[in-house]
Amino acid sequence: MSVVGLEGVPARNPDGSTVGRVLDVVARWGAGVYPPVSGLVVRVGQRRVFVHAEQVRELASTLVVLASAQVDLHDVVRRPGEVLLRQDIVDHQLVDVDGARVVRAADLYLTSVSGGYRLVGVDVGVRTFFRRLGPARWRRRVMPGRVIDWADIASFSPPDAPVRLRSSHARLRELRPGELAELLSDLGRAERHQLLTALPPETSADVLEEMGPRQVSDLLRDAPRVEAADLVARMEPDEAVEALRNLDADDRAEILRVLASEPAAELIGLLEYSKREAGGVMTTRLVRLHASDVVADARAALRDARTHASDIDAVVVLDDHGRLLGDVPLLDLLVAAESVPVRELIGPPWPSTVPPHAPLDQVIRKLIGNRRSSLLVVDDDGQPLGRILADDILDTIVEDRDRRWPWQ
Amino acid sequence: MQLLTLLAVMGPGLIAGLSDDDPAGITTYSVLGARFGYQLLWVLVVSTVALVLFQDLGARIGVVTGQGIIGLVRQRYGARSAGVAIVALVLANAGTTTAEFAGTAAAAELFGISRYVAVPVAAVVVCVLVLHGQFKGVQRIFLVLSAGFAAYIIAGVLAHPDWLAAARGSVVPSMPVTRDAIVIATATLGTTLAPWGLAFIQSYAVDKQLTTKDLPYLRIDVVTGAILTGVIGFFVVVACAATLHPLGIHINDAAQAAQALEPLAGHLAAKLFAIGLVGAAMLAASILPLSTSYAVADLTGRPAALDDPIRDAPLFYATFVLITAIGAGLVLIPGIPLIPVLVLTQVLNAILLLPILAFMYGLSRDRSLMGPYRATRTAAGSYLVTIVLITLCIAALGIASIR
Repeated sequence: MSVVGLEGVPARNPDGSTVGRVLDVVARWGAGVYPPVSGLVVRVGQRRVFVHAEQVRELASTLVVLASAQVDLHDVVRRPGEVLLRQDIVDHQLVDVDGARVVRAADLYLTSVSGGYRLVGVDVGVRTFFRRLGPARWRRRVMPGRVIDWADIASFSPPDAPVRLRSSHARLRELRPGELAELLSDLGRAERHQLLTALPPETSADVLEEMGPRQVSDLLRDAPRVEAADLVARMEPDEAVEALRNLDADDRAEILRVLASEPAAELIGLLEYSKREAGGVMTTRLVRLHASDVVADARAALRDARTHASDIDAVVVLDDHGRLLGDVPLLDLLVAAESVPVRELIGPPWPSTVPPHAPLDQVIRKLIGNRRSSLLVVDDDGQPLGRILADDILDTIVEDRDRRWPWQ
Repeated sequence: MQLLTLLAVMGPGLIAGLSDDDPAGITTYSVLGARFGYQLLWVLVVSTVALVLFQDLGARIGVVTGQGIIGLVRQRYGARSAGVAIVALVLANAGTTTAEFAGTAAAAELFGISRYVAVPVAAVVVCVLVLHGQFKGVQRIFLVLSAGFAAYIIAGVLAHPDWLAAARGSVVPSMPVTRDAIVIATATLGTTLAPWGLAFIQSYAVDKQLTTKDLPYLRIDVVTGAILTGVIGFFVVVACAATLHPLGIHINDAAQAAQALEPLAGHLAAKLFAIGLVGAAMLAASILPLSTSYAVADLTGRPAALDDPIRDAPLFYATFVLITAIGAGLVLIPGIPLIPVLVLTQVLNAILLLPILAFMYGLSRDRSLMGPYRATRTAAGSYLVTIVLITLCIAALGIASIR
C-alpha cells in the first residue's frame, strides 16, 4: 500500500459516516528492520488528530475504517522514536546502502505483517514521482517503479525531531571509506552530519581521510567539540594536521583543548611546520625498534600497528639514545629468520633523511635519489621524528599541478 | 579577510551574475537605451539591487543546506510544487538556450560566419568543455569568457555619452506610462533576475563545496558579480542611448544594435559590441544546460557534480547534452519561427520567477533548514519588498498586454 496514496483518503466510522481525512502515517523507528505503523494522522475539522493503529479496523488504499465511533481527539504530539512518513521521509534524502548512493523517496510502501502494517519498501522511481503530480486517482494507483527494500535504507531524522533516528545501519560499515566519503558529499548538510555521527568513530576517521581537506574542516566545525576532537584523535596525524590547518584559529584551539593532552601536544608540534616543508607532510606514525630487538619483536610491533598499514613501509632501528641507526624495509623483515637481531639487517644503503624544515623540493630530490618508497625526517640530534611517504609527496604534486594560478 | 581565500571562493556570483547579461539581456538593454535614452537607467539599478539580494540568498541557501533549490522545494513544499517547477524550468531553460544560440548565430553572422558553422561548433565546444573538463578548469574558462564583457564598457565609452544625463537617469526614477515602457522595464527586471540564474548559483555553490566559513567571501563574490552585471548593462544602455536614441533608430535585437552602432560610434565600437555578444552567448549557452542538469539531478536525490564521471551521473550529463542539442537544433532548422519560441520563453521565465522567489523566501525563513543562518527580519522584509515589486511589474505587464 502506498503512503502517498493514503493522503486524503476518508476515515470513516463503522457506521459509514466520514470522520475526517488521512494526512500522514506514523511509524515507530527502532522496532526491527521494518518500522511498524503506530497510527495515522487524521484531519478532523480544523484539528490534526492522532489515531492509534489499534483504533484502525481496516486500512485500504481508498478507505480507512475506524474501530469505534469514539476517537480520542488528542492533538498530534511527536513522541520519541516516531516518524511522520509523509512529512519526514517522502521527498527527503535517503541512503541506499546496497547501491551506495543517495536517493530521494518518491513513495513508501506498507505491507500487512501479522496483524499490523510495516514499512517495507521505498520507491525512488522518476515515474512514481511524476504520477504524484496528477490527480489523487493517479496517486492511489500503485505502479511500483524502482523499489528498494527498506532493509537496505538508512534514513535521517528531521533536524527538529525530539529523538535522533537510528541512521546507523550495520551494513553502512561494510562500505568502503571511499564510497562513504562519496555518499557524504552527495548529502545535504544536516544529513551529512547525522550519517557521520552514526558511523563508528574509527570508520568515520577513515572516511574523513578520503574527503577533501576543506570538507573535513567543515565537518569538524559543525560537529560538537568533543566529537570533533574524537575524530581528530582517530585520524592519522598528518591528515589531522591538514584538517586542523584549514580551521579558524578559534575552532582549532578549542578542538585541541578538548583533545587529550598527549595527542594535542603532538598535533600542536606538527602544526608549527608549514605545508611546504618536510615536517608538514610527514606522518609521525613510526614503528621503532632497538638495535638489540630481534625480528620476532619487529613482527609483533608491526602486528600492533597493522591498522596504520598505509603509513608503514619500514621499521626504524634506534641506538640507546634514540638516534637513528637504520631503516629496515618490510621485505627484509619478512625473509629474515625470527631470531635474527634487527641490528644485522641494517647496512648500506643507509637511509636518506631530511631535517624537519627542509623544503619540499629537497625532499623530492632525496626521495628520487634513494629509490625507496619513503624517507625519514630526523632532528638535529639524529632522532627520527617522522616518515614521508612517496604517496604524500604525490598528493602535494597533484595539488600543485591543479593549481595553475598562484592564488588557487 | 584574506585575499587568497576570497580568490579561491570567487566564481559562483561572478559567473551567475555575468551570464545574466546574455544576448537576451543585451538585446533588452539595447532596446531600453535606443527607445528611452537615459530615462529608464534607474530600472537597471533596481534590477541590480534585486539581483544582489536574491543571488546572495541562493548562494547562502546552497552553502548552508548543501542542496539545490529543486531538491529543497521537493522536500519542503512537496512533489507537486517541485514537479511543476522542474517542468517549467526545463521548458524555460530549453527556450532560453535556444535564445543564446540564436544570439551566437546573429553575432557570428556579423563577422560573416554562417550560422550553420558557428552554432554546431559552439554547441560542440560547450559540450566538450563541460563534459570533459574538471570543475576548476571549467570555472576558469567561464571566467575567461566573462572577460569578453569588457568590450561593452569600451564600446559604451567610445559612444561619447552624456554622462550627466546618464547619472540623472540612474538615480531619478521617472516612468512614461506607456505599454512599451512597462514592457521594457519588466523585461529588464526579468532578464537580469532569471530563474535559471537563481537555480544555478545555488547548485554551483553546492558543487564548489563551499562551506559556511566561506559565506563572507561568497557575499563579496556575489555582490561583485551582480554589480558588474549591472555596470555592463549600464554601458550597453549608454552606448545605445548616446547614438541610436537621438536619431530615433529602432532596433529589435543586439545584433541590429551592433550594426546600427557602426556609422555612429565607429567601426571599433560596433566590432566590440559584437565580440561581447559572442562571449555573452557562449557563457550563457554553457550555464543554461548546466543549470538544468543540476536541477534535474537534484530532483532525483543526489546533487550531481561537474567532477563526477559520466558513468556515475548519466542523468546529469544526458540532460546537459539534450538541452544543448534542443537549443542549437532549433536555431538551425530553416524556416522555424524562432520569435514565438523566444517570446514564450520570456513569458515562462516571468511566470516561473515569482514562485521561485517565493520558495526562496520560504526556505530562507525555515529554522530547521537554515539554523543560525536563517534570514533576519530585515533581510526577509527586503526580499518581500522585491517580490511585491516584481509582482506589480508582471501584473502591470499582464494588464498592458491585454488592453
